[in-house]
Amino acid sequence: MRIKALFLKPYSKYIWIILMLVAWELTAKLAPVSALAFPSLELILAALIDSIVNGDILMQMVFSLGLILIGLGIGVALAFLMSFLAVVSPVFASFTDTCVSIFHPLPGIALLPLIILWIGTGSMAILFIIVHSVLWPMILNMTAGFKAIPEVYKKIGQNYQFNTLQSIIRIFVPASLSFLIAGLKISWARGWRAAISAEMIFGASGGIGGIGWYIFNKRVFMDTAGVYAGILMIIAVGIFVEDFVFGKLEKNTITKWGVA
Amino acid sequence: MTDVDVKPIIEIRGLGKSYEQRPVLADINLEIRPGELICVIGASGCGKSTLLNLIGGFVKADRGEIRLNGVLVEKPSRQCIMVFQEFDQLFAWQTVRHNIEFPLKKSPERLSHQQIRSRVDHYLAMVKLTEFSDYYPNQLSGGMKQRTALARALALSPQLLLMDEPFGSLDAQTKGELQETLLEIRQESQATTIFVTHDIREALYLADRIVVLKAGAIAAVIKNQTRNSNETRVAEITALLSP
Repeated sequence: MRIKALFLKPYSKYIWIILMLVAWELTAKLAPVSALAFPSLELILAALIDSIVNGDILMQMVFSLGLILIGLGIGVALAFLMSFLAVVSPVFASFTDTCVSIFHPLPGIALLPLIILWIGTGSMAILFIIVHSVLWPMILNMTAGFKAIPEVYKKIGQNYQFNTLQSIIRIFVPASLSFLIAGLKISWARGWRAAISAEMIFGASGGIGGIGWYIFNKRVFMDTAGVYAGILMIIAVGIFVEDFVFGKLEKNTITKWGVA
Repeated sequence: MTDVDVKPIIEIRGLGKSYEQRPVLADINLEIRPGELICVIGASGCGKSTLLNLIGGFVKADRGEIRLNGVLVEKPSRQCIMVFQEFDQLFAWQTVRHNIEFPLKKSPERLSHQQIRSRVDHYLAMVKLTEFSDYYPNQLSGGMKQRTALARALALSPQLLLMDEPFGSLDAQTKGELQETLLEIRQESQATTIFVTHDIREALYLADRIVVLKAGAIAAVIKNQTRNSNETRVAEITALLSP
């Protein structure tokens, strides 16, 4: 029962990760698998430490994170603008719905040939793909959140004689925060995928191509431990953001307010 | 208080409203004087809430007009604040204090930070929630939520307070406490109030006058100076409401 209770704690994720690492190490050491395809943790950690010490992996990570955060910022701002216009105008709402239907299922990577034609390769092209990946799920969540706002809140906004912008900022946004956080989480994950895919294809300019380029480069040189080191970094950043950014945000807002 | 010489705060003339060609209210005429507490009573679907929404400017009338202090009511305004039945009318992301503060910030009155604070303190004390000012709505009981909503409405010093069955979802004891609070507040603030209810005893306990609505029309306007809710008076109103 005490062991079962351990897996029901908030930190159970870390216990699972440790167990997975143990299983990995046992497989690498005991199973008849190629060390090239399945390097031991020792090799992966050595590659990771080496990359951290020489600064390569951190530099690539900072580059990718920078692009993702800029893309996320632009995507959220555009999503807010489009959702605002959709609240103001039913005609624009219909246009937004149509855009979401068309572009939300469309993977950014499918647009790559066109983006290369329009913008060329490089950071701007990667940013374009990230914004595309972030924008549509964010609009979807924002508009769903705005639609789910209790009618009584809208009436109160009218009663206080708020204009549309005041109603959205002072009532709609906080009232739909659970949807907005969910949208941010999805957008963050999609932004990562888009960035890494694009970086793998576009490659580096001036030695920096992002973590996607780092992983691709390691593969080219058959440095499998280096590939796994890159993947580990992405996982570590993902867990950090999930637990210490979104987790804290949720704890201090929607969980505290009882609307999670 | 109901002196005919006093200029009415609300004048309703020939008011009518239909939803999808189904008449909900027809030819409503009513005058309400400053400081009066009017209870609108009637069966479900008789048009009580529609009447309140029309007075509040949330819904447009098909016919007739409503004037608040002589000015035509065309849209919701801060002069006429509504307290709703729903417990979720409080903003979940704000504490009790911040819920009451919320409409005062950036209000046309341009109150200073200190003025807002003292006004909020005053109304918190009035609804007996001073100790709970830092609580979020999800930490409050239904009665406390409605007290907060009442304080938030009163803090705006509206000319008219509209209450749409605000105690309708509360247990009998809490309802009784809130009725007492409302009467105490009324003594102090003299706010003109229109209170919608389907509870005849509640209307007899609270109102200066009772407007009996039946099938979208005013069946009677009863003076209620004694505030006596004995069985005879309940039976009188029940008879008026029965089909």
